[in-house]
Amino acid sequence: MLDAGICNYVVISYGHSGLWGGGMRQLLFNTRASEAAFGHFGAVGRYALAARRGMHAFSRGPDTWKHIAMGQRKWANLNPAAIMHAKPMSEEDYYGAPLVVEPFRLFDNCQMNDGGRAIIVTSAERAKDLKHRPALIMGMGLDNPCNEIAQAQYTAGPTGAKKAGRAALEMAGIGLADIDACQIYDCFTYTVEVTLQDYGFFGYGEGKDWFKGGTIEPGGRMPVNTSGGQLSEAYFMGLTPISEAVMQLMGRCGPRQLGPKTQTKEPQIILCSDNGGTLQSHACLIFRRG
Amino acid sequence: MSVEKILPTPDADSKPFWDGCREHRLKFQQCGVCGEVRWPPSILCPQCHSQNTRWMEASGRGTIYTFAVYHQAFHPAFKGKLPYVVAVVKLDEGPMLLTNLVGRPPDSLACEMPVQVEWDDISEEYSLPKFRPI
Ligand SMILES: [Zn+2]
Repeated sequence: MLDAGICNYVVISYGHSGLWGGGMRQLLFNTRASEAAFGHFGAVGRYALAARRGMHAFSRGPDTWKHIAMGQRKWANLNPAAIMHAKPMSEEDYYGAPLVVEPFRLFDNCQMNDGGRAIIVTSAERAKDLKHRPALIMGMGLDNPCNEIAQAQYTAGPTGAKKAGRAALEMAGIGLADIDACQIYDCFTYTVEVTLQDYGFFGYGEGKDWFKGGTIEPGGRMPVNTSGGQLSEAYFMGLTPISEAVMQLMGRCGPRQLGPKTQTKEPQIILCSDNGGTLQSHACLIFRRG
Repeated sequence: MSVEKILPTPDADSKPFWDGCREHRLKFQQCGVCGEVRWPPSILCPQCHSQNTRWMEASGRGTIYTFAVYHQAFHPAFKGKLPYVVAVVKLDEGPMLLTNLVGRPPDSLACEMPVQVEWDDISEEYSLPKFRPI
């Protein structure tokens, strides 16, 4: 629409009343499907089934996921807007939290919150005259492996991230080595592990070692979910990762800004993911500094 | 105080499956052309797109594809059942079925364990196919 000159600016917004409204609850407590007769409800149970199969196929489970939950919490501790800003998380906190749907403990789950996010898209030409330095879209990829979750045999990978990631990198004309940071859709910790694995950041089953030693944290070599993400900042569907990527490339992230402030590389290129259903659809977006 | 049970919600396509369950028979659609056994029910074979369909009875044997242990009640009807196990069982005939695992402590379960159907008559009208490790 921008290229065709139909409009000059597009706002992509998302808002919800996840805490006091009904939408998020319906996602979590839906009783209409026949699955509910077996006590199976919504997103937590479905992702727990996916994660268990992942544990069977490659994952060390909580041993890997604790690095994701704690690493993202460290970023949230630098973000005053994050729901978990004032709450550090130790390994004891992670393992001591109640089991929700096993293998998930409480801190493997994202936030439920009220609020919203928006981004504005325009042409690179028009962006030159705007107040802030823009982030430019370098590449995009989509892959939707399945629409019938009961028969899905890809929940331990490869998920849609594999093809979508490859397509986005190809469009951008870069390789994984050029990525400075990632903002990954993180409805659950497992989603981050399987997504990064399918993108190729580490080999099949090598997640535990890759995350060890603060890889994704402030000071780490591949920062991930630098606002705290959906696990520790707030859940706004795909706009949690995308808005953070754009803000980081604009240099507008305050104490959590990638670069010298957080002993990380100043970001030129950031990769983002979004997924829908239970790993049923996937989008990968790559942005660069304008 | 008793809480109302959640019952299955059959539609025109899945009614024969639930009717079969009531008689403790696990019935699925099978393609009359390529032999594919499918779930959920549909008018076309997902493999060869044929409409030639009959209902067959499965053996009730399979393996655990994956499972999850509920430690929180998402509905009052399940409060007294915690912890309980929801699973996807891959039947020997092919389809995967969402179900419960019974008869074993949750921490003794593993993916790929062989299982056998066991019927839970939850009302006059409905029986749920659940599975027990063998
Ligand atoms: Zn067929």
